[in-house]
Amino acid sequence: MLLQVSHLDVTYHGKAEPTVHDVSFELERGQILAIVGESGSGKTTVIRAVLNCLPRGAGISGGKMSFEGKDLLSLSPGEWRSLRGSEISMIFQDSGNMMNPVHTIGKQYIEYIQTHSDVNRQEAYDLAIEKLTLMNLPNPENIMSSYTFELSGGMRQRVGIAMAITFQPKLLLADEPTSALDVTTQAQIVGELMFITRGSGASMIIVTHNIGVASYLSDRLLVMRQGKTVECGKTKDVIEHPQADYTKTLLASVPEIGGKRYA
Amino acid sequence: MPDPKESDVILRVEHMTKKFPLSGGRTLTACDDVSLRVRKGETVAIVGESGCGKTTLLKTIMNMQPPTSGRILLHEKDITNLTGEARRENCRHIQMVFQDPTSAFNPKMRIRDIVCEPLLNFGLLKRKDMAAKARELLAQVDLPADFAERYPHNMSGGQRQRVAVARALALEPEIIACDEATSALDVSVQDTIIRLLVRLQREKGITYLFICHDLALVSLFSHRIAVMYLGSIMEKLDGDRLEEARHPYTQALLKAVFSTDQEKNQKISILAGDIPSPLDIPSGCPFRNRCEHCRDMCEKKKPALRELAPNHSIACHYPLEIVTK
Repeated sequence: MLLQVSHLDVTYHGKAEPTVHDVSFELERGQILAIVGESGSGKTTVIRAVLNCLPRGAGISGGKMSFEGKDLLSLSPGEWRSLRGSEISMIFQDSGNMMNPVHTIGKQYIEYIQTHSDVNRQEAYDLAIEKLTLMNLPNPENIMSSYTFELSGGMRQRVGIAMAITFQPKLLLADEPTSALDVTTQAQIVGELMFITRGSGASMIIVTHNIGVASYLSDRLLVMRQGKTVECGKTKDVIEHPQADYTKTLLASVPEIGGKRYA
Repeated sequence: MPDPKESDVILRVEHMTKKFPLSGGRTLTACDDVSLRVRKGETVAIVGESGCGKTTLLKTIMNMQPPTSGRILLHEKDITNLTGEARRENCRHIQMVFQDPTSAFNPKMRIRDIVCEPLLNFGLLKRKDMAAKARELLAQVDLPADFAERYPHNMSGGQRQRVAVARALALEPEIIACDEATSALDVSVQDTIIRLLVRLQREKGITYLFICHDLALVSLFSHRIAVMYLGSIMEKLDGDRLEEARHPYTQALLKAVFSTDQEKNQKISILAGDIPSPLDIPSGCPFRNRCEHCRDMCEKKKPALRELAPNHSIACHYPLEIVTK
């Protein structure tokens, strides 16, 4: 068992009721879990809790989380720092926003590598180039000397994924990684996420509102609504035989090519 | 098109080109020789990825910016270069619903004032009749009457989008242009908004111009689909026959849509490369550098939109052979 989350409660400051209540799931090595739900369902809060980077004023108010048998809730800030970015890393909706626009990508990438490992500049540069190449980015040297605004959305997202997989993390967390992208670019990025997780044996939790993407990528599916679990199980089972009424409604409203026309 | 009953065509875009001059003597071609016919009571969807010129096309039709060349005809009347009062009067016929219902309203106005504002602008409503009219408009979009006294921030995104539809309906326009009207909404909310739009169309015979990037969604309710890429229309076909598309780009878009049906997901295929910058459109066919069927001809000559079958035209030298069901 890689990650075990049981009865997780997250409460925002000043609220009596927890925003996320009693969410439990388990993740084996190499598995992909998708968390789907509509806006305000708490899906992003859940993966932020796993990385212990909840917004200011929010905190875990109940439940347990363990990663490779280690109790995550008892880690010191220093232990978190060594875990984050190397063992567990995150891919954001728009990786352009996580970077500083006034520094080149190369400068930030090298800084990130040197923070987490004991290598010199040249070794860090070579490692960065290797990861960018793995993400099918043309001219990685050119990317290293670019600023984020000079790249297209798809390229920025590839840079974000390259950075996230630099230290071959055991767990990747992806928060709406394709939602800001065009259809054809989305297909490219989803293909690459599939390739890197299957290739490296890493596990992934992907948060998305695109149920098509979730069912394509994931082994297990967690459906959330208003901070609670609606349904959780094997993706195939949940999609083909949804139990909860909410899941049925949700699946019925996903537009499909060749589906039932509105009349 | 052989048999579009000419009398049914209410809006025509003829050879519209829009270029934006940039610094350094460069020009950005947002729309290149776009022609479109819209028949009464139909939904015409314009789909494409970012930068394909779909919003520019809509803005030109809406008279928000003049085209570089070409004409826009509403009921055979040239509305391309209307100014002043004539332009304002024209707004009675075409109304718009925007992508983000939060920024489409003045946050300090009550819903009652928002939905009645177009009528007050045209002097079609007396202030004392506002309350009744607001109730009537809200009822059309399935919102309770007491919403009239609310402010936009007191409602959910889906409810706000309903208010946007109510405001667009106020003047009883012939055409409503929707610019990504559902892409900021959750799927279940999107579903209810589309149902509402389809019902209103049936009841009132409204024509929709629907700009969208979600091919699966538009295939479920539009009558005609125009697929755009880098400022040109690549293919025009009937909404319910989207799967018979023969342009390599349309097929690539179809194959990039993820489904909840694993069998369909088997067919996902990934189109390589990025969309070129609209500043740097390839010579010949705009799609040629990403097309796996590209031949010499595609580099030399830009394919013109031509008719393959009734209601199906395509801008490609070598259309794909698709087995029809």
